[in-house]
Amino acid sequence: MDYVFLWRPVMEALPQLLLAALVTIEVAVISMAIGMVFAFILFFGRSSKSWVLRLASNVWIEVARNTPALFQLFFFKFGLGAIGIIIDSYITVVMALAFNTAGYMAETFRGGFKAVPSSQLNSARSLGMTFPQAQCYVVIPQVLRAVWHPMTNQFIWVMLLTSLGMLVGLRELSGETQFLNSRTFRTFEFFAVTALIYYCIAKLMLLLFRMLGWRLFRGG
Amino acid sequence: MSSCKSIIKSFCLSAVAISMSMGVVHADQLDEVLQEGVVRCGVVLDFPPMGYRDSNNEPEGFDVQICKDLASDMKIKHEIVGLTWAERIPALVSGKVDVAIASSSDTLERAQTVGFTIPYNVFQFVAVLAPGVTINSWEDLKDLKVGAAIGTTYESEFLKYKEANWADADGEYTSFQSENESFLAVKQGQVDAIIVTDTVAAINLKSGKFGDISLGAVAPFGADIVGMMTKRKAYGWINYLNIFINRDVRSGRHQERYTKYVGGKAPSLASPGVYY
Repeated sequence: MDYVFLWRPVMEALPQLLLAALVTIEVAVISMAIGMVFAFILFFGRSSKSWVLRLASNVWIEVARNTPALFQLFFFKFGLGAIGIIIDSYITVVMALAFNTAGYMAETFRGGFKAVPSSQLNSARSLGMTFPQAQCYVVIPQVLRAVWHPMTNQFIWVMLLTSLGMLVGLRELSGETQFLNSRTFRTFEFFAVTALIYYCIAKLMLLLFRMLGWRLFRGG
Repeated sequence: MSSCKSIIKSFCLSAVAISMSMGVVHADQLDEVLQEGVVRCGVVLDFPPMGYRDSNNEPEGFDVQICKDLASDMKIKHEIVGLTWAERIPALVSGKVDVAIASSSDTLERAQTVGFTIPYNVFQFVAVLAPGVTINSWEDLKDLKVGAAIGTTYESEFLKYKEANWADADGEYTSFQSENESFLAVKQGQVDAIIVTDTVAAINLKSGKFGDISLGAVAPFGADIVGMMTKRKAYGWINYLNIFINRDVRSGRHQERYTKYVGGKAPSLASPGVYY
């Protein structure tokens, strides 16, 4: 390949790239947090007595898990845009990723709840706890332990999916890279450095989750 | 005797090796294209009337026709590779295309990475407004939400202008991945205005596919002079393409093509006071 690598433009733009990396982490954390809340709602909705809640939860989970995240993102940006609902790029990406995460995590939680024997809930109730108390203090902590590793994976996945943001004009890490690339045309250099930044973020997140997991579940 | 044989053998082998390595070192992209018998042209296919797909989904347009004429002059085949704006330079550098005939402005930033031919077309940049948005002059854009396709000259020119003249204004800027998304966004009102070239604005407004969008002001960036792009060191190939463009204009074929796809008199490719 007759191409000479020039790294100076990338080094000069490194502060901008690192600031954009913060946006990536921020979007990932917010999407994951909202996604987790909805995942719990979907899980309980799915086992609800009301058929409306069951249907709505099932449709959400099916669509979130069986269509590409890119389609979901375009639905929130251009699909809703077509009926006059205009949403800012940042919010669009958070909505799409939270939607996607909720679908996947609801299924993960299902596995997690199955892993906790029903005797745990019964024992808690027999000690005089109400149903919500029994869930909060006895069942859910055990569920979280069971789903900790899949949840870590999901978080890394969400962090990498934020790169779709560049397709709707969000200047997260990929969007900023593409933008700087269109100023300098040093494509290979910019994307190589960005790939390295993504790798470092993923490794850092894994380490944090491992430490947090160790702190929370060391009894197990 | 055996040592004589081995000397001859090693002499022959080294001759073959030297001739092969010479071939690799000196092959210009022009030689490679001629050897392959096909020229691969990168064209942006959501940029009518320069590049688009016809009702049979075949590539068509002014830039596509140039590729066909180039291949026919070279007596080889052609292949159209559809690109987005931002893909043009990576596609060239990685060898995916031999030449980008993709209405690319000859900017100094691009010329640091790729090679340019002499100009083969000239555009103007204009603002296209979302339904319900009106402006009286270019300056009215300063507080509005403006978008453009990423990796284009009108994007960088607009951002330069915005920084120099509207630094304190409230206007926002959004990049879109392609010309289609840019038009879809302005049609839906995701942005108040987009910056595009005059030809694509004219054809998309005429098509009626984008609702009540309207033509805003002409951008004060001057004429947008575009050339074909090649790998930066493909001197022989650039020289060939320059002569192709020169003869294309001299023969009148350039005007015929312009009349067919754009209409009217083709703008002059010469810049006053410059040799080029």
